Amino acid sequence: MNEGPDLTEAEAFAAEHALGVLSADERRQAEVRAAADPAFASLVDAWRARLTPLAEGIAPKTAPAGLWPRIERALPANDNTGRGAGFWRRATVASLSLAAASLAAAVMLANRPAVRVQPPAPGQLLNASLVSPSGAPVPLFVAAYDPARKALIVTSLVQPGGDPAHVHELWVIPADGKPRALGFIEPGKTKSMPLPQGLLSSLAEGAAIAVSVEPPGGSKRLDAPSGPIAAVGKLAKI
Amino acid sequence: MAAATTPEDLSRLMTRIAAGERAALGQLYDATSAKLFAVCLRILSDREEAEDILQEVYLTIWRRADRFDSGRAGVMTWASTIARNRAIDRLRARGPMAYAEQVDDLQIADGAVGAEALLVTAGENGRLQDCLAQLDDRTQRAIRTAFFEGLAYSALANRMDAPLGTVKSWIRRGLARLKGCLEP
Repeated sequence: MNEGPDLTEAEAFAAEHALGVLSADERRQAEVRAAADPAFASLVDAWRARLTPLAEGIAPKTAPAGLWPRIERALPANDNTGRGAGFWRRATVASLSLAAASLAAAVMLANRPAVRVQPPAPGQLLNASLVSPSGAPVPLFVAAYDPARKALIVTSLVQPGGDPAHVHELWVIPADGKPRALGFIEPGKTKSMPLPQGLLSSLAEGAAIAVSVEPPGGSKRLDAPSGPIAAVGKLAKI
Repeated sequence: MAAATTPEDLSRLMTRIAAGERAALGQLYDATSAKLFAVCLRILSDREEAEDILQEVYLTIWRRADRFDSGRAGVMTWASTIARNRAIDRLRARGPMAYAEQVDDLQIADGAVGAEALLVTAGENGRLQDCLAQLDDRTQRAIRTAFFEGLAYSALANRMDAPLGTVKSWIRRGLARLKGCLEP
């Protein structure tokens, strides 16, 4: 076998990162370095490509038949299309009538018979008023958890047409402190955002809901907002 | 499932997924879920957890499809990396006890994979296995354990009952030799 020359420091670090032998601290260092240094990032990519066939050497196992329908149900509404000019033109409703609309939505939710509430949901209606973390306590978004639909009904009270270069991404932060993205919410719109199965059991009073301002396409990070937090609130019983 | 799904087919599916087409995600699922489920199952050794993670993997693919860059990685590499990272995160979340378990013997496919198995990178896979087989047993075991369990050097040294520095040098030398073997 060709011995191969020793790896340079950068390449060894990239290979170790791709293999997964680094400590949590070193992994963060590697991620920061990959974000800042394209040459290092391509070393990591190349090592991932070299090592991935290991995973593909495992005999395939057919996933259970019920899994795809479960995934399909959990898909957030399609946020990937329609971000052209029309997207912003459509968002023309004034915030005042939206406040009324969100109130109507809340009333509609509150009027649901309690017997329709299903476990493992918290068992009752929860809502949150999201305000700027630093500014005035004026709600910018209103969120209500609908246990029957296993979804958050979110209304943006942000005036439409403000900033076409960014999107508003909604996050749920349950007790474990890990943010989960639910999707985008257009300024001035109300949207039902289905909650992934894994999140339902951890969603309870006190869970935080936040909205971050992100470039089109959403957060650059997989598991956390990459942009500033525009509004935040906690779920509480109605 | 399509008889032959080429890397180019998968790449085209990603474009449609990025445009928000659910049916395209369904086709990607048909073409790749058996491989990704096997990865999750291999890492987690628990069907229920593997199913949960597989769901997260496809939701991540759906959300991140517009970031997929075919110039940087193939679809299978990209998706397998997501699956492996998610499964290893779950494994780590189980806490240190998860690492106390013994590694079971790896079930490496013998190459006699059925048509539906869709080994889109069969060539690369065969070569990597050949190159790995040329490393000594300890190094092979260290690399496979690290890959499938996300064990950091210190945990790996404990598991293999060898000094940290020794395990590091096995892995670094092993990786250098793998590269030399794959790209002579």
